[in-house]
Order: sequence, then structure tokens, then C-alpha cells
Amino acid sequence: MTETLSAPAPLGSPPAHEVLLDVRDMKTHFKVLDGIVPAVDGVSFSLGRGQTLGIVGESGSGKSVTALTIMRLLDIPPAVIGAESEVWFDGREILHMPLDSMRRIRGKDMAMIFQEPLTSLNPVLSIGEQIGEQVRLHLKVSRHEARDRSIESLRSVGIPSPEARIKQFPHEMSGGMRQRVMIAMALSCEPKLLIADEPTTALDVTIQAQILELLKVIQQRTGSALLLITHDLGVVAEMVDHVVVMYAGQVVEQGTANEVMLEPKAPYTMGLLESIPTAEKRGGRLSVIKGVVPSPFHLPPACRFEPRCPYAWDLCHEVAPELYPVVGSGSGRRARCHLHQAAGESRRVAALELHADAMRVGRGLKEDPA
Amino acid sequence: MIKYIVRRTIQAIPVLFGITIVVYGILLAAPGGPTAKFAQNPRITQEMKEDFKRAWGLDQPVPVQYCRWMGFCSKEVDAKILGVLPAPAAFIGPKGWPNLLPTPLSGASNGVLHGDFGFSISTGELVNKAISRAALPTLILASSALVVWLVVAILIGVYAAIHRYSLFDQAATVFAYVGYAMPTFWLGIMLIFLFSGPGLNILPAGGMTETRVSPPFGSDDYWVYFGANTVAAILDIGKHLILPLFTLVVVSIAGDSRFVRASMLEALGQDYVRTAKAKGLPARTVTFKHALRNAMLPVVTNIGLELPLLFTGAIVTETIFSWPGMGRLTIQAINSFDYPVLMGILLIAATLTVFANLLADVAYAVVDPRITY
Repeated sequence: MTETLSAPAPLGSPPAHEVLLDVRDMKTHFKVLDGIVPAVDGVSFSLGRGQTLGIVGESGSGKSVTALTIMRLLDIPPAVIGAESEVWFDGREILHMPLDSMRRIRGKDMAMIFQEPLTSLNPVLSIGEQIGEQVRLHLKVSRHEARDRSIESLRSVGIPSPEARIKQFPHEMSGGMRQRVMIAMALSCEPKLLIADEPTTALDVTIQAQILELLKVIQQRTGSALLLITHDLGVVAEMVDHVVVMYAGQVVEQGTANEVMLEPKAPYTMGLLESIPTAEKRGGRLSVIKGVVPSPFHLPPACRFEPRCPYAWDLCHEVAPELYPVVGSGSGRRARCHLHQAAGESRRVAALELHADAMRVGRGLKEDPA
Repeated sequence: MIKYIVRRTIQAIPVLFGITIVVYGILLAAPGGPTAKFAQNPRITQEMKEDFKRAWGLDQPVPVQYCRWMGFCSKEVDAKILGVLPAPAAFIGPKGWPNLLPTPLSGASNGVLHGDFGFSISTGELVNKAISRAALPTLILASSALVVWLVVAILIGVYAAIHRYSLFDQAATVFAYVGYAMPTFWLGIMLIFLFSGPGLNILPAGGMTETRVSPPFGSDDYWVYFGANTVAAILDIGKHLILPLFTLVVVSIAGDSRFVRASMLEALGQDYVRTAKAKGLPARTVTFKHALRNAMLPVVTNIGLELPLLFTGAIVTETIFSWPGMGRLTIQAINSFDYPVLMGILLIAATLTVFANLLADVAYAVVDPRITY
């Protein structure tokens, strides 16, 4: 709630008009008793108007913090935002603008859906009030008109008899209905960007599909851009155009959904995809990425994935890899791995073959010592 | 909701009835008694003591005393079973109907059931009159204390929660520990020493009105004086109110400001507060509309439980500052073994406790839509 940023950093120039969201070198660290947690450490990506982007990663990879930083929902302190970090939204830099200006963007041009629909709605306010207050605030309409808009918004997300529903309280609704309410709330002011932070994690599998379908339909109908944060690779394949894969606070790979899902270039992404159980791998052992996510206090010195990487060699322990462009792909295709620079050239072919092999039969079956 | 309130009110009847038995039993089990005050007086003979007891009905067995005090039994009938229990004939009133029925039916007017709490043994005054005289001063002290207590505790708690670990928060923490640990009697005396002592001497040390200027509070003369000099009289009471009020609320504010702070901090960390921020609501709306309303839920329960303490817990404060209220009346009644007065006060305190709890439950349902009765 307080501003602690001292001097405003010299800003770069705004991105082209067709780029809605441009995140540049985002660094979000947390100051805690034991030290500093670099939750997001130099993340950059951009999202075009009306496009969809997925951020994928396991727990603790920094994907949620990325979203919260964009929305400026983190308390400062304990969060510390890098002075050189920039987030451009709709032609304006929002990371360092006064919080009052940001408030006028939040909920209006940029809305967010959270993971837990059960706790994300206020238990003591009616649904109509929770949607209506946002509409009244941003669109400056009368109470009556706000009510009509709330009903319309609820109807658009497929909630039956919305006139009755707006008088209800969150506890009177099921989890799926509450998430629909959250989506209706987010859409009530027709935002240009919708950020969905694991919108289906807390829901039943059957409801998950419904909610995802709803998000997709709405995104196409309203033409808003969608930033979808998930750990579910299936959701990514289904929902988005572009993918950013995060590991330990860094982007490790980016590209279109098809490219990343079908031809992963970073060993971490390869491992993730190998670990998906499929019908072909039936009977074999489930493949896993060995080891655990490194503690944020003791990150590996160079490549953060190096201790768990099956293709790592000396260089990976000595020099931190950059986000190298992938050989023979478009400009948006990048991977943070030494395999994709000159020094790794010879090893790359072998690694990709190993991966292709693992995807076909499952590595577990082959390497099973028993 | 109405049904719930009616049901709870009916449930309160057996509770209060049980309380009368327990309290009566405890009082009679205490050593001493109304005749204890004669012990040091050599001119009072044993015979005179017996006469005194007989006149007040204290010579009767305890069940009979209780039965008459409650109004189940008629005072006029002296019949007993086994010499201890009241005989069935005693339960019949003068008109031939059960004695406990309302006066027009039974013709009886004795006992609590008929609104008669008897006479004060030490002053001979009607208990009803003594209590109603003491009620207004207590009401003035308690209600003003309630307002100050709630407003200050909530303000301190909310502000400290929003600015956690700030200088204000640290100061509030220190105040809370000191205030909570401060014995009321010591604090009261220190305040008198500070503000009414020879040094400053800016506030009165006790009483409710300036007795050199106005007639005693509550007397008929006083109300004549009050009508003629309303502003001056109110200011006078206000001046006398400051020190006892402060003494009374310090402990409550100390405890509850912590409670509000903790509750508010919990609410501020909830997901719906993040949602409210994400909607672009101004900080004030987020804090007061979204967080505070949820933070008040546990506070409401706590307040309901503490409410009766204001009426009974003012005993020490009222005694220190000679405030002519219920607390001081209680102390006086205890000191003189004035059972009728004491029973009347305790019964009223019990009733207040029962209904304050009911009020808290109702308030809880009003602020939290998840609760329905």
C-alpha cells in the first residue's frame, strides 16, 4: 500500500501499438528474515492485443508473483521491485506509476481471476454488491445501471437466473458457480487484459473443463487478451497461442504453444513433457525430473536447472546460460540452455534424440534397473 | 429470526430460575448474616436479635424464605412439612389461586415474580427504589464507557493493523500490555492523586455532582435544579465522569484493541481483500468495507461477552470514585449482609448477562449472512 521506490528509473520507449503488455526485465524479490528470495528474476515477455499467453511452471517458479507484480498487488515491503524493471500496458508504464493511477487501470482495463474461488469472494457481501461496486467505481454509472450490468455480466458467464443470484452470498453457491462469478466480476468492465492465475486448480475436473471453455469463448467474443497462469500443460495446449515456461524465477523457454509442446528445446521443458503419462507409455515407470526445485536461498551458481539436468556438463556449472534464440526457428523462440549456443552444438542433437526417444516409449521403461 | 429470539427468551427462564437458587444458596452459606452487625453492640440482647430475625422472616427455614422471596409462597401462611419445607397450603394466594400468578388473579404481591424484591435490611428502603436510584448513574457511566471503549479500541486496532510494526503500532502494543496489567483500584487512586491532588487539582476526586452547588443526584430537588440549570448540570456530571470513565475503559481498550488488531490483520491477509484491491477499489474501501466488516465478526462476539462486565465490573471504579451507582450499592449491600438488595442486584446482573449473549448472537447474524437461525 505504500510506495517505497525512491527515484523513478529512466524509462525505455513504449512498445508498438499492437503490443498490449510488455514485461521487461521484471525482478521481484522478497525480503524475509532469512535473506532475500528472488521470486522473479529478470523475466521478460510480451503479449499482443487479443492474444493469449500461458505462463507454465511448477510451484515456486514465480509465475503467480509475476502476475501479482503486473497487477501491483504485492505489499512493498516485503516485496522489492527492481528499479530497472518495466511493465508497459496499453502504451503506459505501470510498474512505477503512482498507485492512484494504477487503481484506475486495475479492475477496468486489467482484471484478474484467482485460484481459489472459495476464498476470493467476500463472504459478507452479496454477489450483486461485489460486482456492482466495481462497475460503479470504474464506469461511473448509477446504482440501478450497475445492477443491470452485473446481471448482464452474470448471464454472460452462464449463470442461470442472474436476477436472483445477485442477491445471494458466496456461501450459497458451488465452487464452479463462484469461479463464474469471479469471471463475471473480472469481465464486468470489459477489460483489455484478463489475467487468470490457475483458475481451475481448485475445481472439480468436470467443472475445470467448463470454466476453461467459458474463458476461451469469452476471450474470443470480447477480444480481450488473456494471460493464463497454470502448471497444467494440458490446459496450455488447449488454451493459448504463446507459452512462457518458468523455472526458479526465470524464463527457461518461450515460443508458440505448438512449438513448445511438440518440440521443447530447454531440458526442463523436455523433462516436464516426458513426465506426462500417456497411453503409449502404459506399463512403464512414470518418468520424473530427478531432484527437487532448488531452495531460493541456495540457487545453483550458474544454470539453475543444472543439478537436475540429464544433459548438463562443466559449462553449465560455470556460466549462467542466457535465453538463446533457438537455431532454425522464428524470433520469438528462445531457450535458456547452453545446448543452444555454439559450445553446445555437438551435444544438442544427442539430447534432442534422447528426448524424442523418451517421448515415444517412456524413459522409465528403458532404464528400469529391475 | 423473531422465532429464534422468542425461543432464546423462553430458554432464558429456566436459566434465570436456576441462578436464583444458586445465588440464594451461596449467600446463605456465607458466614455472618444480617445480625452480624449487632455482634459488637453490648446493648443488643439475644432476645432482641431473635425479634429482629422474626420481623424479617429470617427465622424461617431456608426453603420457606426462598419460596416467599420468589413469590411462590404466600407470606401469610405459616404451614410447613417436616418443619423445613413449605406446605402445599402456602402456595395458595389470598384469592384461592396459586400465589405465583399475577397479582389481579392471586391477590398476592410478594416476591420477585410480582416485581417485589422486598426491603433493604440495612436502610428499610424498598429494594426496587434503591436499585432504580443507582441504575441511572451506572447507566450514564456504563454507556459512555461503552461508546469510548468501542470507538477507541476499534480505531487503535484498525490503525495498528494497517500500519503494522509502525511506531504507532509499537506504542499501542506497549499501552495494551501496561493497560491490561494495570489494577483498576491502583489506577483509579493514581488518577485521583494526579488530577485531584494538591498539585494539579483540576478534576473532582469523586462523586457525581458538585454537592456544594447542586442537591444530591437523583433526589427530587436535583431534578428541579437540573431543569433550571441543564447545561451547567450536564457539564458538572461530565467533569465528574472523566476519571472514572478513563479508569473503567483502560483495561477494556487495552485488551480489545489487541483483539481488533489481530482480527483485522487476519482479514487483511485474506484472498477477498486481494480481490478487492484487484478490482481497483480505493484503499479506504478495501480496508473499511471489505476487511473491517469481516474483522468485526469475532469482535462482536467478544463485545457481547464483555457487555455485562460494564454493569457489574464497575464495582471497584464506582467505589473508588464514590459514584452512586450499582457497583457501590453492591459493595454497601455486601458489607451489611443486605440479602434482599444483593439478590436483586445479582438477579439483574444475571438477566443482563443472558440477554447480552442473546444480543451478541443476534448481532452476529446481522453482520454475517452465513449465519441463520
